[in-house]
Amino acid sequence: MSTGRESWRLLLKSKSGLIGLIITGLIVALIVASVIGVLPYDPITQHAASRMQPPSAAHWFGTDRFGRDIFARVAAGVANSALIAVVAVTFATIVGTAAGLVGGFFRGASDAAISGVTNVLFAFPPLLLALSLASVFTRNWFTIAVAIAVVYIPIFIRVTRGPVLTLREIDFVRAARATGQSRWRIMVAHVLPNITSIIIVQVTLSLSWAVLTEASLSFLGLGTPPPAPSLGSMVYEARTLLTLAPWTMLAPGAVMVLFVVGLNLLGDGVRDALDPQSRGRK
Amino acid sequence: MPNRFKSGAIRLGCTAVAAALLLTGCSNDSGDTTPPTNNAPAQNLVIGVTSDVDTLFPWKATQFNTVNVMQTLYGTLVEFDENLAIVPGIATSWETSDDGLSVTFKLREGVKFADGSPCEAEDVKFSYDAIMDEATGAASRSSLASVLSVEAVDSLTVVLHLSAPDVVLLSNLAVINLAILSSTDTEESLSTTPNGTGPFKLQERKPSQSLILARNENYWGDSAKLDTIEFRVIPDETSIVSAMQAGNVQLSIFDDPVVAQTAESAGIKIQETSQLAYHVLQLNTVSGPLADVNFRLAIQCAVDRQEVLDTAASGEGEVTGPITAPAFRSDPKARPCPTKDITKAKEYLAASAYPEGATIRTIVSQGEYATSVNEATNVQAQLAEIGITLDLQVMESGAYVTAWLAADFEAAIALNGGRPEPYGMYNRYFISTGNLNTVAGYSSEELDTLFDAARQESDTTARANLYQQISKHLEDNAVWVWLFTSYTYAATTSNVSGFTPMANDSMQYLRTTSIS
Amino acid sequence: MSVLTHPITRRVASAFGTLLGVAVLVFIMLRAIPGDQIIAQFGIETGDMTPAQIAALREYYGLDKSLFAQFFSWIGGLFQGNLGFSARAHLSVSELSANSLPVTIELAVLTIVLSLLIGVPLGMLSASKRDSIRDGFGQLVGLAGLSIPSFLLGSALLGWASAKFSYNPNGKAFVTLLENPWLNIQQMAMPALVLAFGIAAPIMRTTRTAVLEVRSLDFVRTAKAKGVPPRRLQYRHVLGNALVPIVTMTGLQFGYLLGGAIVVEQIFSLPGIGRQVLIGIEQKEYAVVQSTVLVIALGFVLVNLLTDVVYRLIDPRVRAA
Repeated sequence: MSTGRESWRLLLKSKSGLIGLIITGLIVALIVASVIGVLPYDPITQHAASRMQPPSAAHWFGTDRFGRDIFARVAAGVANSALIAVVAVTFATIVGTAAGLVGGFFRGASDAAISGVTNVLFAFPPLLLALSLASVFTRNWFTIAVAIAVVYIPIFIRVTRGPVLTLREIDFVRAARATGQSRWRIMVAHVLPNITSIIIVQVTLSLSWAVLTEASLSFLGLGTPPPAPSLGSMVYEARTLLTLAPWTMLAPGAVMVLFVVGLNLLGDGVRDALDPQSRGRK
Repeated sequence: MPNRFKSGAIRLGCTAVAAALLLTGCSNDSGDTTPPTNNAPAQNLVIGVTSDVDTLFPWKATQFNTVNVMQTLYGTLVEFDENLAIVPGIATSWETSDDGLSVTFKLREGVKFADGSPCEAEDVKFSYDAIMDEATGAASRSSLASVLSVEAVDSLTVVLHLSAPDVVLLSNLAVINLAILSSTDTEESLSTTPNGTGPFKLQERKPSQSLILARNENYWGDSAKLDTIEFRVIPDETSIVSAMQAGNVQLSIFDDPVVAQTAESAGIKIQETSQLAYHVLQLNTVSGPLADVNFRLAIQCAVDRQEVLDTAASGEGEVTGPITAPAFRSDPKARPCPTKDITKAKEYLAASAYPEGATIRTIVSQGEYATSVNEATNVQAQLAEIGITLDLQVMESGAYVTAWLAADFEAAIALNGGRPEPYGMYNRYFISTGNLNTVAGYSSEELDTLFDAARQESDTTARANLYQQISKHLEDNAVWVWLFTSYTYAATTSNVSGFTPMANDSMQYLRTTSIS
Repeated sequence: MSVLTHPITRRVASAFGTLLGVAVLVFIMLRAIPGDQIIAQFGIETGDMTPAQIAALREYYGLDKSLFAQFFSWIGGLFQGNLGFSARAHLSVSELSANSLPVTIELAVLTIVLSLLIGVPLGMLSASKRDSIRDGFGQLVGLAGLSIPSFLLGSALLGWASAKFSYNPNGKAFVTLLENPWLNIQQMAMPALVLAFGIAAPIMRTTRTAVLEVRSLDFVRTAKAKGVPPRRLQYRHVLGNALVPIVTMTGLQFGYLLGGAIVVEQIFSLPGIGRQVLIGIEQKEYAVVQSTVLVIALGFVLVNLLTDVVYRLIDPRVRAA
């Protein structure tokens, strides 16, 4: 196990980590700009007079079919997509890790139940699962985040349960048990810290998948409901405009790919920095 | 895009139709099912559709594409022409008794079903009786609400006995949900082997992929020019445009102006047709702020309909009042605030019980048609100017329809279907006993009286006058906020001719279409 | 070892449990989605019908029975090989799936073959010299594969081919491999390529990591020291031993493709099993969605079992044991 500072140093040292960090940083800056409202245009207000204008000094990314500034929409869209991804992954991490810990550590009936549910969720086609869940409730960004989270929960369960199974047999855990500490305490104080790096790696990878899943749901008409933009719904809505106004699709498409690339690179960097095995191979 | 036809009439391809009719007149073939051998290339038209038919039973067809397919397979007693006037179908003539309580139809001689069996008065009686039977679950049973009984006098004479005079009956009978079926057929048998009197018959069906129709040589009218029509399922509209560019598909109907524009820029011919269907902000006047007429008038005055049209539908359509049928169309200027008037809106609001404005729970469907959410956001932005907040609830079409039918909304952004006869279009909403009156959320004695009078008035001018009064009553009370009608776009490749799109979305002119 | 405690018996029992869980989940979830088949079929016209008409339709669509009765008649039917009936297509779900499943399987197989053809050599190229330009190139392609959503790539490819070359085999009526092999392969090529681009990425990464890992193992070092030629070393020793994680990853991706190709099926108008579910959800055809999801889940479980078997066959450690 390396310390937090050591990991940061390693992250910054790895090329992909550094590039990923820079790209993600830029995207975060865009999100912040959108959220605190320093951008000159509102992403939702429609302006009939300035429909489908190509990129210009006033509208950096041009305007869409409703005369909305695409730069403002991309910024708001990336904020929405990030919000959905972060909430979905956070939810999946908490639930999945807790279930994986409990199942792996306590074994027995709770483990059997948790493994059963995991198997079921794995066997259920993921996009169809998200799609059905997204149709059940009145759709908003939160219900979509929950739908995506449910798809990712079993991944987190599987990722944590395995190492926990190994850890519980390791000497220092046995030793702690021998001293009569409660099992919950051992689990939180001794087992959890040892799987943090695995979880962090999984979180960074899942973030980029979540952004893409939200985009796929948008494509099937079950993404973030308009008018609030998300990268996925923007790209989807602009597909018909590809020949008439290519910028309406290129801008959100490019930002989406960039965002996912950034997250993936960051994920790689984090894995290199945290995963002792991969570091050992260097 | 080329100039838009803005006058409110339907744009017609009359010359094309006339020419096609002339041509069909000369090319009557011998009646075998093989493609014509007189050196003419096989006439196989492919139509790109986004969804497969959901039933092959005409009485249960309600979805756009299903209705279109049924229209080519089946026939009705009377039909609409391209001006939406009633013309003969299976019946050649009809006569209403002096008291208006019975209508006698003379059937065309020699009409046959696709299987070769004759279509006679017994079949008409069988069909209408079955539609009226609740166990059948027919979609348009209510169209025959005024019919007491059906009598087959002889093989070519049918009499409908009515409970009260009903001038809209004929236009109801022209709808494919009242198709005439053979008395020997059942829903089960027709689900695999359609057997109608239309210009085409089923050749092959691959569910979710394609439906291929072949010319029906037993058709009573001029034989169709096309040998086959394939309705090919291409779920994504953009992919349909691609397929048309590559020449795999020759005809498609789009409702999204942007898709039509893209297709046009790719060299595909686009014919636009003004629709009877109307975009509307439905208000539920039963309770809350919307029960207050002044509050509703405030909403009506605060909405610039042209702006909604411009932003949501790229200006592709026409601002409308309640009645959209060309023959009776409401004057969109005849309303309390013909144009947006914030001062007046604020006056109305001040006079209402909610002078500070209120929040209105508004349902919006997503996915059913392209412009819904954009209309909603634009209306929302406009109403915010007078302090009225629309709380938009965007739903899947299934959830939306469920909420809509249960009248579980304060306001609803809707695209409601229109009919050539305004009585048939609105009676179910605005008569106090109408099936959808709870959804409409408004009724009044005056409206009941007007509708009743219109149903019994056989003089067209007098009826038009009654419809204007209905229209005025609806507008003066701001029952709903009628917004605009839009276009549909018939896209054809350059080798297709003779297709006339219609305001009721019908593709019946596939029977005169040809391909070179 | 008794039959009851044999690992294979236990695997099969657990697979049954999983499928039952999927059945319950899909059943409940469908009922929770607002609207039913009557509303899907008739839309707002439902409001124009009398209560007696609605009752007749509920009976027609089998919605009049209690949820329990619906569930058990469905499950009971499954055991008799009856997956239910689609009123829309007027075919049984078995017939529907017999048409759509081969399409998706063909697509999945082609995709996997393409992804292996792209991913494995690329992974080996990357691993052949760590942190070199080749490695950078391989990693970049992998990154692009992971980051570009398939609907973006798919629409762009189809639109471009149609507009530039009037080439759009997917605009033609779909044909099966038996009906017209040449056209079928053309119709499958673009969607398989689009999917493969995404799936090659994890395969490439797995290959790279596995090769790097195996190469650091003792026996490879020994072989190298013994003077085994590098090419032979690469293929026989290194790749042979890196196969296990690659096969695991391939199995996982194949299982995913059975239900995960919907978006691509939609863009390229392929009548596959994903679209069958999607249409079923739109039409609220409960039997279609339930049974089809179960078929996909069964496919997933079988692929997993198969991966397990292959894994046992190729893993030298398991073989040695």
